[in-house]
Amino acid sequence: MEYASWGEEDLRIVVPAVSIKDLAYTYRGQKEPALDGVSLDVAEGEFVVVMGHSGAGKSTLCTSLNGLIPHFFRGRMQGEVRIEGRSTREGKVGEFAKDVGLVFQDFEAQLFSTNVALEVAFGPENFQVEREEMVRRVESVLSQVRLEGFEDRQPATLSGGQKQRLAIASVLAMEPRILCLDEPTTDLDPVGKLGIFEIAEDLKNRDDVTLIVVEHETEETLDADRIVVLRDGRIAADQPAREVLREVELLEESSVMPLGIARFFREKGVGNEQLPLTPEEGIKEFEARGWRVSPERHRELVEADEGREASYGEPLIEVEGLSHRYPNGVVALEGVDLEVRRGEFLAVLGQNGSGKTTLVKHFNGLLEPTEGSVRVDGEETAKQGIQVLGQRVGYVFQNPDHQIFSDTVFDEVSFGPKVRELREDEVRERVEEALAAVGLGGRGDEDPFGLTKGERQRVAVASVLAVRPEVLILDEPTTGLDYAEQRSMMDLVRHLNEAGSTIIAVTHTMWVVAEYAHRAAVMKDCRMALSGTVREVFVRDEELRDAYLRPPHIVSMGNSLGHTVLSVEELLRVTEGG
Amino acid sequence: MDPFLYLDRDTWVHRLDPRTKMFLLIGAFVLAFLFVNPLYGIGVLAIVLAFGAAAKSLVNLERIWFILLMIAVMTVILWTVFGSGETPLFWFVEREALLYAIGAALRIDIMIVAGMIFLSTTRNEEIATGLVKLGIPYRFAFAVSTALRLVPTIAATGSTIGQAQRSRGLDLESGNIIQRVRKNTPLLIPVFVSTIRSTNVFSMALESKGFGAARERTYFLRLAMGRRDAVVLLVFALVLVTAVALRLMGYGGVEGFSR
Repeated sequence: MEYASWGEEDLRIVVPAVSIKDLAYTYRGQKEPALDGVSLDVAEGEFVVVMGHSGAGKSTLCTSLNGLIPHFFRGRMQGEVRIEGRSTREGKVGEFAKDVGLVFQDFEAQLFSTNVALEVAFGPENFQVEREEMVRRVESVLSQVRLEGFEDRQPATLSGGQKQRLAIASVLAMEPRILCLDEPTTDLDPVGKLGIFEIAEDLKNRDDVTLIVVEHETEETLDADRIVVLRDGRIAADQPAREVLREVELLEESSVMPLGIARFFREKGVGNEQLPLTPEEGIKEFEARGWRVSPERHRELVEADEGREASYGEPLIEVEGLSHRYPNGVVALEGVDLEVRRGEFLAVLGQNGSGKTTLVKHFNGLLEPTEGSVRVDGEETAKQGIQVLGQRVGYVFQNPDHQIFSDTVFDEVSFGPKVRELREDEVRERVEEALAAVGLGGRGDEDPFGLTKGERQRVAVASVLAVRPEVLILDEPTTGLDYAEQRSMMDLVRHLNEAGSTIIAVTHTMWVVAEYAHRAAVMKDCRMALSGTVREVFVRDEELRDAYLRPPHIVSMGNSLGHTVLSVEELLRVTEGG
Repeated sequence: MDPFLYLDRDTWVHRLDPRTKMFLLIGAFVLAFLFVNPLYGIGVLAIVLAFGAAAKSLVNLERIWFILLMIAVMTVILWTVFGSGETPLFWFVEREALLYAIGAALRIDIMIVAGMIFLSTTRNEEIATGLVKLGIPYRFAFAVSTALRLVPTIAATGSTIGQAQRSRGLDLESGNIIQRVRKNTPLLIPVFVSTIRSTNVFSMALESKGFGAARERTYFLRLAMGRRDAVVLLVFALVLVTAVALRLMGYGGVEGFSR
């Protein structure tokens, strides 16, 4: 028998867990291939992160691993995908599902059972696992994803992060040797993200599980064995993680956010070999090179903040002692005070359930205070009502697909002005103005459903702008967009702010807050935990961590150097020497 | 919003085998249809409500009280107008037509209430597993339980979309009926688009969890008919037999009613 077991060991080394050869795939009805000649080998036990812009082919790659491509999707496939030596063309999805676990970004749509234990048992049931074994697996995977004691809970009552952990558990229960997570953290708040990263960390340390994760947050990819960067369906980079992360230009060209620390040292002319990646490494290198932060130049930054504060207009939104209780008795806000002045750019932070969305829904009259008062332009919102307030306070919802319904971009954007019974020439003027403002000028005749997510998000913003509101509320404006799209979306918002709009953005994306917002309000447990200029808020590292918010690396590094900076550019400006 | 009607309570009704509850549900339908006389109807409703109370599930009726009321009112109006009887009551309304109308309204409401209590006390998976044990193919049983789940999910998406469109100035409260129906386009299209998208992910997730990979599958839920089921089934069967006998003997109708 010794001979046989030696043979098996040998085979494992020879046959990679995943072997992709010249894979090309074109979805039916599409001209451009989603993947175009991808070759990739992943060894057993490896942890590979896949990055790339929207539409680069990341999800296509994931769905080709368990045979959804070519069996579920219709399209043209060339090349080959082999899982532990077996071609995905040779069997049904169900046959590969046992070896390759696939978890999708949309956790709502992949959970369907009435309690957690049944959700986890669904996969094993399909593979005819005996009941005793199922009971054992349910217990074991729930403890792996830290959901012990949740067996009888309805999935619908879980938080987003818990739902995604449950989705992972339900796949782990089939005991796959390869686990692929397609953007598992994109729709989650910071706590939820953290939970997923912890699970990934555990799985990474197991050498019997091969882990492939699609991830947008570059700061979270440092632990990967390898990073694969996709661009337009081709592999742009495939190297050990730290080597790829030093390729600042390549990442930027691929619409992937480079690490702030790496970008800073690259701008200072440091070569690839010594490029630090983490704040700790950054501080070491900074001090080793004898650089220092100039207090005078830092004071200039603070003075610029103060100058901006002084330039705001009169108070536009005044919140006093606001509490809100939902009809089912759940308290969502307690004693919140806030003042937003004309011309401000306010970021509202906090984890899901902390009350941030409930708070901003009071500003356009979607919700009315249970206690306390909310005044817009000096008048109680409860008296104005949503129809009137809607003209003053525009609200862009998180998911553009929750509001787009027209055949053309023009019709979509003209909806607001039309229901307000404006004259036809005025409607046209406003729509053209709004489309120009979001960079979609001249594209009024296109079908909104044919646009990319980033463009649909812009249509949603334009449709709110066309009413010419004084205040623009944006709920998670950058979620689901790649780095380049996030940049262009936020540049647009900054432009609107400079043109006079007051901006309130609800967001989880910390670098967006650091680089774009003027002021930040942090919600925690239905109360306002912190508020002030972004610089004042980001100094308080510990309180932020208490609210599960982690400042971007570059901010942490500045804090450790004793001076809060909000972007790579700011740190460059205040650094002396070198 | 909670997309399920199921209430996770520990009562003897919940502990009944889903097959027993299916029989009770069909039995309740039969009872409702046997008698059109509202006095008997009230008796049937009382039995159904007693089950609901025993299952601590009457709270779910609060979610649909408006629908129940509307259906009752509409039915009563239609049958009193279009039915006719012998004893004039007031204006053009006859006593028999009114009685029949109330009985008919009770019938429909009883069925809805019974269905609601069934869904409040039986998990989707229990319904599916129960159907399989009764010889229905698993794929069909799963489709039934998925359909039950889809309706409340769509309602939840619809509520978010409604908020988004109201923020843009959509006013559903004004205008005549035709205008109001047309005003719903901004709600319906995004609801369809979102539902189709999430259904697509759902079916990918199903495939990826090996749905239908093998001809047979095992079940995490264990169903077993116990003594409790036997007692409930026996008692309810007796009630049904008695009811059928009563109806055959001519009780429980409305004398003198004609359409």
